[in-house]
Amino acid sequence: MSSLSELHLDALAEIFSIGAGRAALSLSEIVGDEVHISVPYVQVINSEDINATTLSLNSGRFGAVSQYFSGPFNAEAVLLFTEEQALKIVSDMMGSQMGIDELAEFEHEAMCELGNIILNACLSAMADILHFTLESSLPSYRVASADEILHRLKKNSNQPYVMVLHIDLTIEKRHTTGNLVFLLSSTSLTNLVIHINQFLGSIS
Amino acid sequence: MSTISAKRFDMEDIFNSLNLGVCVVDADSKVLLWNNWIAKHSDIKETDALNRQFEKVFSESVSPAFLTALKHTLTHRLPVVLSTALHRTPLPLYNASEANQQQTRMYQSITITPIQSQLNESCCLIQVTDSSTSIKREKMLRSHSEILKKEATTDSLTDICNRRFFDAHYEMAIAEAKRQKHPLSIFMVDIDFFKPYNDYYGHIAGDNAIKQVASALKSQLSRATDIVARYGGEEFVLVMPHLPQKIAEQFAEKLRSAVFNLAMPHINSSPFHRVTISVGLCTGIPENDDNLLNKADAALYQAKLKGRNRCICLPLCETEEYLEQ
Repeated sequence: MSSLSELHLDALAEIFSIGAGRAALSLSEIVGDEVHISVPYVQVINSEDINATTLSLNSGRFGAVSQYFSGPFNAEAVLLFTEEQALKIVSDMMGSQMGIDELAEFEHEAMCELGNIILNACLSAMADILHFTLESSLPSYRVASADEILHRLKKNSNQPYVMVLHIDLTIEKRHTTGNLVFLLSSTSLTNLVIHINQFLGSIS
Repeated sequence: MSTISAKRFDMEDIFNSLNLGVCVVDADSKVLLWNNWIAKHSDIKETDALNRQFEKVFSESVSPAFLTALKHTLTHRLPVVLSTALHRTPLPLYNASEANQQQTRMYQSITITPIQSQLNESCCLIQVTDSSTSIKREKMLRSHSEILKKEATTDSLTDICNRRFFDAHYEMAIAEAKRQKHPLSIFMVDIDFFKPYNDYYGHIAGDNAIKQVASALKSQLSRATDIVARYGGEEFVLVMPHLPQKIAEQFAEKLRSAVFNLAMPHINSSPFHRVTISVGLCTGIPENDDNLLNKADAALYQAKLKGRNRCICLPLCETEEYLEQ
């Protein structure tokens, strides 16, 4: 854990901001309106220390889009929004009005796409800047309670580290916040740090 | 085992039998594979598609979002999904339809995955599924659910709100009035001498009278915030927020005269010999355990006692004084 300094975190925040910019561009092409995404800060914590506050998992149910990434480091990346927010985003994007209980198959698919755009943009920015290639699975979407999400994050002993990106998303003037969570093994975290060090070395 | 079974089938036969569109393009987005499904739905033969740039294969344009997604997959080597909900019909693909019908573009779900050729080239696999059926099913389910929702809250005889809707609405209206500290008016309405009417004119005429009264009451409402519901047999209830006491009283009188002016004959109702209603009104800003509905009901009882075809208003407080009047 001590291997990640403020400098590393700043570099990561910088990289993910570039990714967020790319994602915003793709999204605004789809919705035909301005989209803003920013990553105000990045945290890396031990998954044992993760709790509802770290992820702002206050209450209710959450929509989670996951993709498994592999390459120089492996990670399960999960984008989390409250179900209510997820629904608002999708209905804003689709320009339709529907209740939470009416969220059906094709809204799930739309949520998958939204998550896919944000996850791919963040990961491809990272791959471009840190000079490596990543592979990824297709995204999947599921709805889970805060407890279920925390339980899954904590029980994962192979991936004891969690990198959390706080995400601010504004689509059609509606502001939403979410979290992008990466589950990392210690080897993956070490490899990530090596790549960040190489990058920092190359620019200093 | 897998090698044996792979050899027993020609992979091309499998691709061509799939019930989904499969297409492979290389790094320059030139088509390397074009299965039967996609040939059928695009009306473009494999021979006319192979080795041509994907977007130039079609005579119509491919959506910009699709081209961006394809470019992203080719550049970043990450898989991309294009959902039906956000894209509808990115590719010019059609469902075969009757000869005289206009062809409609197929709703599609698309995934684009990076793959490597045996020559180590970076390629992309494009998979297209037809989501027209699920969209149709979805639309049907939605319209059914809207109909059911409406039926569940509508009184089948009068077409105004039913008791179930009223119960839920009343609770919300009270909570809202308490929170915003604004007045709420409840009108309890009952048709006078309804049992003698039914006995004399018959149940069909009785039902008709209920319908006419309901529609006369409903026609008095003009704000979206106001509701009229059938409370029981010949009893109705109206919920209206934001009315000052004076206006609420005038409105109760309007309800009474609207029914009076229907001039429906009722031989067993003296002295007017027509269908009339009694109205009990309670209006005020509800606090704590105040029960507007009970007070409105008490007011209705007063109106009945005092001779019917009249309105009685009870404020939320000072009930006793009003009862003395």
